[in-house]
Amino acid sequence: MSYMEREGGGRGGGRGDAKKDDKEKGGRRGFFRRRRVCKFCVEKIDYINYKDVKLLAPFIPERGKIQPRRLSGVCALHQRALQTALKRARQIALVPYTTD
Amino acid sequence: MSSVRQYELIYITPPESTEEALAELHQQVAAVVERFGGSFEKTENWGRRRLAYEIGGFREGVYVLEVINGPAPLMAELERRLRVFDIVMRHMVVRVDEELAAAERARVRRKSNMAERRVRRGLPPEPTDSERKRHAEEDDDSEMGMDHMFRGGGDR
Repeated sequence: MSYMEREGGGRGGGRGDAKKDDKEKGGRRGFFRRRRVCKFCVEKIDYINYKDVKLLAPFIPERGKIQPRRLSGVCALHQRALQTALKRARQIALVPYTTD
Repeated sequence: MSSVRQYELIYITPPESTEEALAELHQQVAAVVERFGGSFEKTENWGRRRLAYEIGGFREGVYVLEVINGPAPLMAELERRLRVFDIVMRHMVVRVDEELAAAERARVRRKSNMAERRVRRGLPPEPTDSERKRHAEEDDDSEMGMDHMFRGGGDR
């Protein structure tokens, strides 16, 4: 558990305030604090289905790029699976490559 | 002897394509599947959908999903043919059997791990209904509460 806390704090406070290793992580970046948990772990989603646009939509920012996991909090394992799912969804025009 | 695998085939046809045209296309696909000794797991017509980007001047398309069990040469032949049809704007074949099996294994493993942990704590292997209800209520708690809870779980 202590390991988890250190990891969360280190990442959240990576923008210049590493000393501040308390619960206020990311406090510098505006008032909304992100929950640093992997959505797929929490909801126990084993298979990230590329046909499920509703599931994928939160990981596509306005520009259409794939959201990096430092922003979304997805764990490495699931980010990899998410990446392939998003790329497949792009091929069949469920998800945009770019938007402008 | 090539082994049987599961594939998902998705194709997109123009929005104005008729029922007959779609039926005929499905016939063509079915003919190939049959010739190679494959079988359909299911066929889904999603109907007209907005495309995320323009394909061949169309902003909408009719999506059809076919889940097919069959050997690899079957899908190779199917892809080759789909490229020829004008009515198919876009298609994609994905092999899914391994991924689904992996997901199933993960599910089973999690379940057995949970049962093991519960037994070690002297609880019945399956959560009782009342526990489930309580957990569902806890999920509605504030972010802080959840944060704490999931860290404790360490399921990452």
